[in-house]
Amino acid sequence: MKLTELFDKGEFVITSEVGPVKGCLRSNEGGKLPQCAQEAEMVRGHIHAINVTDNQSAVMRLGSLAASVRLKERGFEPIYQMTCRDRNRIALQSDLLGACSLGIDNVLCLTGDYTSLGDHKSAKSVFDIDSVQLLKIAKGLNEGRDMMGNALTQSTNLALGAVVNPNFEPLDLQLLKMEKKIEAGAEFFQTQAVYDPAVFERMTKKTDKFGVPIQYGIVIVKSPQMGKFMNENVSGVNVPDWIIKEMGSVSKEDRKKKAVEITIRLIREIKPMAQGIHFMPLGWSDIVPDIVKATV
Amino acid sequence: MIGTTPKPFEEISRALENYEKVAVIGCDGCAKVCMTGGSDQVVEMAEKLKEKGKTVLFALSPERTCYVGKTKTALDPHLDKLKSADAVLVLGCGGAVQITRKVIEDYDLTIPVKVGLDSVGHMDTLIMGELAIEQCQECGECILNETGGICPVTKCAKSLLNGPCGGAQDGKCEVDSERYCAWILIYNRMAALGELDKLRRFMAPKDYSKMAKPRRLNIKERRVE
Ligand code: SF4
Ligand code: SF4
Repeated sequence: MKLTELFDKGEFVITSEVGPVKGCLRSNEGGKLPQCAQEAEMVRGHIHAINVTDNQSAVMRLGSLAASVRLKERGFEPIYQMTCRDRNRIALQSDLLGACSLGIDNVLCLTGDYTSLGDHKSAKSVFDIDSVQLLKIAKGLNEGRDMMGNALTQSTNLALGAVVNPNFEPLDLQLLKMEKKIEAGAEFFQTQAVYDPAVFERMTKKTDKFGVPIQYGIVIVKSPQMGKFMNENVSGVNVPDWIIKEMGSVSKEDRKKKAVEITIRLIREIKPMAQGIHFMPLGWSDIVPDIVKATV
Repeated sequence: MIGTTPKPFEEISRALENYEKVAVIGCDGCAKVCMTGGSDQVVEMAEKLKEKGKTVLFALSPERTCYVGKTKTALDPHLDKLKSADAVLVLGCGGAVQITRKVIEDYDLTIPVKVGLDSVGHMDTLIMGELAIEQCQECGECILNETGGICPVTKCAKSLLNGPCGGAQDGKCEVDSERYCAWILIYNRMAALGELDKLRRFMAPKDYSKMAKPRRLNIKERRVE
């Protein structure tokens, strides 16, 4: 099912995110589900779809497409994330055809984290095309032609998502790119993690007129250390002091409870401005259902 | 200019391990500006090699070692000595090394040519003797007219053509917090020029066939073939 169908129906769309394992999914040794499937199971029934990251942070793992297909087999609706870091225009188009052939309905087109941030620092970065171009190319495939104008034997039928960072300064530059993404074919957006409703509002005041659905993105801050780490190492994200303090004010055992509480508070404030939520739980998928129950 | 940095001396020693009589050839063009292969550095290198027990036949630096003509002119007077060389060490860019090899081959000599520098690309000098930065990758289809004279192909780590990724923080690039995000620089420049609207235009994927290696420049006809 395409996410765009839900947005069109006026549905408040909830998605969560899993990162594929660093390993293969061929055999299911010991009957234990791989981490990404376990996390998906934790949110089953509480979300509409699951983002599957593409070698996130440039750390080599199982490919997003393989993991997406496996999740689809288990009855989840995957959002296949595709970055421009590792593949040229031939490989990206080919993988979009592959994704559609394998039953994928949603793709999120991103630039991708830079190679040097990951675990293969000496790899050659590709970045043959950018996310705006990827969206335009993907739209063309939906319309039955590749980027060179050659006809396809069968068109793809993919809902095209993109990302926007409301924290970006200057915001107008980020929104200029967002508009280009919309023109290129983006049908829905997920935001980078935002922890300040005013920041989200600053963006929606300018983007409401674009008429595309935006899901509020939130990375669950699991500890005060993680908050500080994100501020120092994750560009484009600001975790405010109050969150770091509140997470630090409780014992380790109570951190999940606290995280639930903080996230609910943020979502309640931001929800009226958004058309959905996108959770990035980074291993804490088990708390997503409680947050969803309390807010949606 | 072409930026170069010296290889560790141990690596150079290893490359010259089996050769006794060596000629050292630098370059008074770019390698001089980088202080890696100019007339001073070839003399220093000759001294070091002598300390290591090598016989240095001659040490010189042509005006531009990447020009066949200039390198040949510099080597012609030393041809007799060159004939007895076991190896030639070039303190120049990768192009200088290969031009030197060609000049030596054209003399009908077969002498191993070794490189003493690492080439790091086209660099523009900001402060003489201190700092040069990379600004252009010679993509074969310059888009500076669209981007306020700042090159996103080179100065954006991801070579993005349609605006920034989401990762800039405090105006700096997500890949290197010491460096400004190229797209924020472009945005500010276009704003100052009153041309922000130009940035709204979709920039098509680059034609990388224009960078397909190795390119040949037909200087007479002023075109790449
Ligand atoms: S666009 Fe950039 S890389 Fe290409 S020629 Fe111009 S300055 Fe050089
Ligand atoms: S932060 Fe700016 S310069 Fe760095 S990769 Fe992103 S867009 Fe390019």
